[in-house]
Amino acid sequence: MKFKLLAQSVLFGAGLLMVGLTPAQSQTREESQGMVLLRGLPTLDTDHSIAIVELDPESDQFGELLSEVEQPDIQHPLHHLYYSPNGRLYSTGLDPSCSLAEIGLSRDSSGTPVIEGFTCLDTQGQIVGEDIMWATSNGQEYMFVTFMGGTGGDDGGSVGVFDTQTNEVVKIIEARKSQVGEGEPYIMYPHGISAFDDRMVVTSTIHPDMTTGVGNVLTIIDLNTLEPIQNIVVENEKPLDFPSSPVEVLFARPDMHADIEPAILANTMFGFETWKIPYDADSKTFGEAEVIYSGVANETAVPLEFYGTEDELFISHGLPGVVKRYELAALPELVSSGPDIVADPGAHHMIFFTSASGRDLIAVQNNLLNLGNAADDDPTDVDFIADLNAHTITIHDLETGERIAEVNFKERYNKGVDNVEGLFGSGFVHHH
Amino acid sequence: MLRVFLTAAVAVVIAATAWVFWDRARGPTATPIAGFSAPFVFGRFAVPPDNPLTQEAFALGRHLFYDPSLSGNNQVSCATCHMQALAFTDGLAKSPALSGGELEFSSMSLINLLWGQERFFWDGRATSLEAQALMPIQHPDEMDQDLDALITELQASRDYRRMFRKAYGEVSAENVARALSTFMRMLISSDSKYDRFLRGEVRLTAQEEHGRKLFMAHPDTKVSLRGGNCIDCHSQFLTSGFRDALDGFSNNGLDSDDDLPDGLMAVTGNPAHKGFFKVPTLRNIAVTAPYMHDGRFETLEEVMDHYNDGIVVSDTLSPLILEADNAPEAGQGTVGLRMTPDEVQSIIAFLNTLTDEGFLTNTQFSNPFEGDG
Repeated sequence: MKFKLLAQSVLFGAGLLMVGLTPAQSQTREESQGMVLLRGLPTLDTDHSIAIVELDPESDQFGELLSEVEQPDIQHPLHHLYYSPNGRLYSTGLDPSCSLAEIGLSRDSSGTPVIEGFTCLDTQGQIVGEDIMWATSNGQEYMFVTFMGGTGGDDGGSVGVFDTQTNEVVKIIEARKSQVGEGEPYIMYPHGISAFDDRMVVTSTIHPDMTTGVGNVLTIIDLNTLEPIQNIVVENEKPLDFPSSPVEVLFARPDMHADIEPAILANTMFGFETWKIPYDADSKTFGEAEVIYSGVANETAVPLEFYGTEDELFISHGLPGVVKRYELAALPELVSSGPDIVADPGAHHMIFFTSASGRDLIAVQNNLLNLGNAADDDPTDVDFIADLNAHTITIHDLETGERIAEVNFKERYNKGVDNVEGLFGSGFVHHH
Repeated sequence: MLRVFLTAAVAVVIAATAWVFWDRARGPTATPIAGFSAPFVFGRFAVPPDNPLTQEAFALGRHLFYDPSLSGNNQVSCATCHMQALAFTDGLAKSPALSGGELEFSSMSLINLLWGQERFFWDGRATSLEAQALMPIQHPDEMDQDLDALITELQASRDYRRMFRKAYGEVSAENVARALSTFMRMLISSDSKYDRFLRGEVRLTAQEEHGRKLFMAHPDTKVSLRGGNCIDCHSQFLTSGFRDALDGFSNNGLDSDDDLPDGLMAVTGNPAHKGFFKVPTLRNIAVTAPYMHDGRFETLEEVMDHYNDGIVVSDTLSPLILEADNAPEAGQGTVGLRMTPDEVQSIIAFLNTLTDEGFLTNTQFSNPFEGDG
């Protein structure tokens, strides 16, 4: 989940609340600019790239790439963007040669943001980086990264613990199902990650090759020992006859909103469900997992991301391509706060910003993984996923959900769009 | 042979004369600042479209900044009250006035003016750096210079005529303001220990890190969060006041209603702004004593004592300060953060990481009339 802090103290740079703008100030507003990871499409002979795109439909530059750095030497693209609490930009990556990278950003003498390039980091053999979060273990802050491929193998998967200053690996949290004892907690294909107090949760999603194996559990990690301590099964209906494949996870907690009772929320990619697992912070125990949203019953599939604003929680559903919205204060229950935001197939990541005139907007990136589109002869081995790639970012009125505009990256740039993040993310705290 | 020599000499003279005329007739040269790069985390900034950052404007502005001929008595330059080694302050509570006595406010440091609040002076009376630049020059107690007389003086200087021509075209008061603004905009401090920490190049000591965390936290006893509350007014990376609207101004509890100066209210006319002053950057704060708009505190310890237990309540006191209390149950009848001595020292240790020695000694910012400038 990406949760916007309410605190005034962190609203400094992103400028989410733009009031009383002078024309000169309006020219330099940046919160409508998105940092995107673009994937070159093999049939269209384009390279993967990192870019900055203008997403305010009121801007003359709407849809333009303001800065772009291509990655011609990397077979698979970068995957997910995250800003550290100190404002450093990182990206996980799908290519074994670059599973984690730090991206250099600067400004030229006109103030224009510039992508300077990226540096692939040593992950000590961990591959297929997914999500990142910064959390504290025994008073020391670390960068935690899920690697869905781990150090390889049929039941691989690891959580890399990195030094926040040097980016060096401090520890690899790994527990292969084939190597731990019967009933002992394991980590396999981890993707989503979230934490509260001294408990971290990661999901068990799917082997990176999409065929070898699929997970159906959450793994709880004790942040005191940095060891897995419990698995929680989150599987009920099997509409695709696959294991449930929990993907993104959110540890709902009181510092998001004072009324929230702690609980884990988890979306299952192939079960189409959202699960709730209550947490008792005093006894440090988890209650029984239960389904609180059924995609089968509601005719939605592939629930993916959790995002938060001051008062709402948003969950994207890849099919039919909608973002559902809920009262933040009501968590961990899902109490609707309004009609669905109808985006495009593959509805996935999102950012929130205001237009030049002050209209609150949401931009939704609509590609599950951009593995290709069979109709266009793009390569894919999983037809179901191929249907989830609209290659667009759609922009909607945040209050009404009205669709205002879209940028179709395939039509305009011959590329897919894998991820979007606010240009200046230090006003956000990221918790997948 | 003589004819050949004379012909060559005439050709050289013609060529030189033509070059001089061409050089004088051509428009200004706008050379981008070589190697300019600003930290991304400092956020957006805007340079006026009619005054882009150029090497020519910077060179001119630097000369003007250090030139006492900008004052009526040719003895006071901008640098008189803004010394590089003191982060462009003067080390005095209030600078001396030309007419005797002292000026109304303490000399403000000039750091990272590309960012933060876009009003200048302690009371925000200038709405652009260009507007600000000419005010001290004309102020009778600061530099007491008539602008027409200044332009006449500058036009009499071949060097200045050349620099103005290259930077802007003509010698004018407007271009004096533009050049000074460019020089001030280029006073970027981004290589302190804190900056290097943010880039991942160094670690803070345990005490500095403790201070950093306190700096960034608003105290909340309900969740046992202790904080110095600094970030409520001093932004995370720049440590200056916030940019939007008038968020970069605040009443930080120095005086009671009876003694409260007008501050921003003198500019806006809004009584809600009485006692509001510009939130300064804390970059290089260790070398900019004394502190506050009137220089009333000699040391950072005195500043911290003020915030810890010396807040004076008035009608316009910042609510963020009024409610920030690490020990509300203590019931001491005073308003303040009530941090421990160790916590206070930790915040001061963090503030010391904001000193940028490279900035304070950067020869590009030094007096061009001295050394090989």
